Amino acid sequence: MWLPQYATPGERIGRTFVVLFAVLVALFLVAPLLVVVPLSFADQPFFTFPVPSYSVRWYADFFSSERWIVSVFNSLVVAVLTAVIATVLGTLAALGLSRPDFPGRGFVMAVLISPMIVPIVIVAVGAYLFFGNLGLANTRTGLVLSHTALALPFVIVTVTATLSGYDRNLSRAAASLGAPPLDVFRRVTLPLIAPGVASGAVFAFATSFDEVVVALFLTGAEQRTLPVQMFSGIRDQINPTIMAAATMLIALSVALFVTVGWLARRAKG
Amino acid sequence: MLVKTPVGTEALVAFERVTKSYDGATLVVKALDLTVRRGEFLTLLGPSGSGKTTTLMMLAGFERPTSGHILLDGAPVEKLPPEKRNIGVVFQNYALFPHMSVEENIAFPLRYHGVTGPAAKEKVDKVLGMIHLEGFGGRRPTQLSGGQQQRVALARALVFQPKLVLMDEPLGALDKQLRERMQVEIKHIQRSLGVTIVFVTHDQSEALTMSDRIAVFSDGMVQQLAGPTELYERPANRFVAQFIGENNVLPGDVSTDGRALRLAGGAVVLLPAAIAPGAVEATVRPERLQAADRASDRAIRFPATVREVFFLGDHARLTCEGLGVAELSVKMAAAEFSVLQPAAGSSLTLAFEPEAIHVLAR
Amino acid sequence: MSSLAEPAHRSLRAQTFRAALPDRLIALGLVLPALLFLVVTFIAPIGALLMKSVDNAEPAAVLVETLPAIGAWDGVGLPPEPVFAALAADLKAAQKNRTAAGLGKRLNYELPGMRSKILSAARAVSKIETPPAGGWTEAITGIDPVWKDTQTWSVLQRNASPVTAHYLLNSLDLTRGPDGAIAAVPESEAIFLTILGRTLFIAAVVTLGTLVLGYPLAYAAAIAPPAVAATLMLFVLLPLWTSLLVRTTAWVVLLQSNGVINDFMMRLGFTSEPVQLIFTRFGTLAAMIHIQLPFTVLPIYSVMRQIPQTQLRAARSLGAGPLSAFWRIYAPQTIPGVSAGCLITFILSLGYYLTPALVGGATDQMMSNFISDFINRDLNWGLASALGTVLLLTTLALYAVYVRVLGADRIRLG
Repeated sequence: MWLPQYATPGERIGRTFVVLFAVLVALFLVAPLLVVVPLSFADQPFFTFPVPSYSVRWYADFFSSERWIVSVFNSLVVAVLTAVIATVLGTLAALGLSRPDFPGRGFVMAVLISPMIVPIVIVAVGAYLFFGNLGLANTRTGLVLSHTALALPFVIVTVTATLSGYDRNLSRAAASLGAPPLDVFRRVTLPLIAPGVASGAVFAFATSFDEVVVALFLTGAEQRTLPVQMFSGIRDQINPTIMAAATMLIALSVALFVTVGWLARRAKG
Repeated sequence: MLVKTPVGTEALVAFERVTKSYDGATLVVKALDLTVRRGEFLTLLGPSGSGKTTTLMMLAGFERPTSGHILLDGAPVEKLPPEKRNIGVVFQNYALFPHMSVEENIAFPLRYHGVTGPAAKEKVDKVLGMIHLEGFGGRRPTQLSGGQQQRVALARALVFQPKLVLMDEPLGALDKQLRERMQVEIKHIQRSLGVTIVFVTHDQSEALTMSDRIAVFSDGMVQQLAGPTELYERPANRFVAQFIGENNVLPGDVSTDGRALRLAGGAVVLLPAAIAPGAVEATVRPERLQAADRASDRAIRFPATVREVFFLGDHARLTCEGLGVAELSVKMAAAEFSVLQPAAGSSLTLAFEPEAIHVLAR
Repeated sequence: MSSLAEPAHRSLRAQTFRAALPDRLIALGLVLPALLFLVVTFIAPIGALLMKSVDNAEPAAVLVETLPAIGAWDGVGLPPEPVFAALAADLKAAQKNRTAAGLGKRLNYELPGMRSKILSAARAVSKIETPPAGGWTEAITGIDPVWKDTQTWSVLQRNASPVTAHYLLNSLDLTRGPDGAIAAVPESEAIFLTILGRTLFIAAVVTLGTLVLGYPLAYAAAIAPPAVAATLMLFVLLPLWTSLLVRTTAWVVLLQSNGVINDFMMRLGFTSEPVQLIFTRFGTLAAMIHIQLPFTVLPIYSVMRQIPQTQLRAARSLGAGPLSAFWRIYAPQTIPGVSAGCLITFILSLGYYLTPALVGGATDQMMSNFISDFINRDLNWGLASALGTVLLLTTLALYAVYVRVLGADRIRLG
């Protein structure tokens, strides 16, 4: 497929050039991430290559610091709550949107997706002003609410995509066989779209777990999340403990990525 | 051999002035009146977009009629959700639940119809036997062939003894040979259980093979509702005449006394009963046209010119000019064809028996 | 005939609507919780921001008596004595309630220096117990000459309304002159259009950069054997899954003076001392192009994958050379993917905050960074909100184009 058998010499050169260029771009995409990993295992707090000697001292630093541990705990709590709420609301919405001739579908979809589009600072400032008036500033509740709004589109998009591959006749068949609507959902629809729903939950978790800007505006020292902790670290003086945190986040991303890939393959059956 | 259960005349389902529109501007189903008799095999036949599947979906409860009533056992059901109608449905793509085994698929409706435990198991085994899939109960639908999936879908729709089974082009996905075998098998099961079936297809030969009665749909309306023979022999209008089998439509004139039909080209046919005089259209099937020397003395003869010849093995098909029609289709048996050897451009005399002519209603 | 057909037609529409209603209500009912949730947690906060951009609560809250009194003033000469008396009463109350500073800060935006004048006037007025013999006019104008200036009074009069266009005008480098007419601010103070322009420019360069890098990548993946294509796409998706902060952190490490790139260049002898890479426009662009690249590549790739290779064969058999076949047959069909990818990258680039904040130059920040700074550093929420409104409207306009042309359904992930 790289080269058709009828390729002219010029075409061969052209395609070879394109492929080499593409490989370089692909390396450009992953190289910055790969740089972080070895530096996190460096023995010395200098960012030079090759790394003179390796150690896990920055990881030990990370795990012995109460600040880091508390921030991880905060992030986990917020991300799990976000994932649960966003998955429930998003899955329901996707089910509604996938019904035939939903009134004003294009517009409703555009509104539901808009949190992905609106600049994050605007979301953050809006939440800061609005939640401040409601007494939700510097609370986990406010952060969870905002993060859920940001995560909703990811769940809706994922579950809608899964539902587009779902045969509505299966629901109709189940109904004709006597199953009431809730049973149709519980026994037929949900088991079949479960991988998509799980992917949506993973997306929602990742969205919240990685989010910095809204968290910067909405949290005080007590609710400080991992990304906020990292952000303020980078602003002051970037240190290898941040590299260790970044490396662990990369590992988490890879794990989530693999999970979603596995779920997608399962959905295909 | 099959023991035919007598088809009652009692109405199980009645559509009364039912219409359906999706966009509020055009009607997909126009003022439908249709009765399904208890125990019969009724086919809704028509081209795609004729409203037959919509009609079926309204009966199943998946679509709501825009106006009119649907009576099931005399009671209106438009507002009844599908799960309360007690109607089995076999879908075009079978709609088997992929995450359940064959057994679980078939047992699915039983719990909603009060059958549980050993009784359910017994029923499932019984239908598995009926569809010749003993021992396949533990398999997933994806591990079955198309024909086997089809049979499981049928079993699932029958196992809870519904009042009525609806089938939406259930054989469309099968190859020709398997389709024909399944036609016989479905017919066999229907007769032995005495179940009422409403079957949707666009395949007219399938409809003719299987049905007690056929409702021919076109343009959102039933064009004719009749048994297969009547439909074939006495189509109500030009659409039915041309949709069921192949047909030649001939222009003609009925004499002032209403007893004779003069076809373009001069042939005159005496009619069995008098009809109103004037211009009419008459039909004659290609297989009812034959070479003149084979025809009886009563046959009406006319000259024709051969335009094209297609040999199809067991028979040949000629396109001729004659009876005032530029493309008169003639189906000629292979034996006759090999004797005559008609060539394009040659002239020959064709003939038909008077009763082969059917005058269409004006 | 048509007049007869019409009522029947209308009733069919009504019947159809009624027949479809129960299903539609169920569908709507399923979507409603998510919509309501967004209204409370997302749309209402944005509404709060929009309100804040025109909010003018301080003058009305403090100048309770002055503002009604000054309404009748014709703007010629000084206002009459009752207005001065009202101002004196308001300032006394403000001094007591410690609200003078807020008012001063607010008026300072329109008349530089007003903050201290208000504070000193409030202090001075509070010391006068009884109405002075010469009247309040003499007393107040005696505190500071600013009270003799009609411009001061016309600014007060202008702020009688609870809403103000001041911040929005300001965010577009406009202001109201002494006569109330809208005019451009002096060139030395005009910065916000420059920032908007810079933001649009950076977004455009990032979009172009991702397209130049991404198109060949997508093409290579589209023509590659499945296994190779999967690997290439893995390289695209993996960064997308990695936290934005981690990717930006990586760029900080790469770009900083004692960072990886400088280290390499010095070792290879390209340079003898560190080159300034971090805190530059180059740093922002490099990191943003890297981060946005997957967003541009994915839609292009998904469109390319659907173009059958047989089309190119057909073009070749019809006499087109390889380049001509590519340009006339293949490239035009990739336009939907290119527009989807570029539009989404442009839209998302407009809203960047983190990357410019961490790797961009201090004087080269984007809209979002200024909004954040006005909230956190300058405490000028009105101006921050006005800048936010401008950024939001720009983004939404582009999003509307996206939804119109491509449909919201096209927005996909991974």
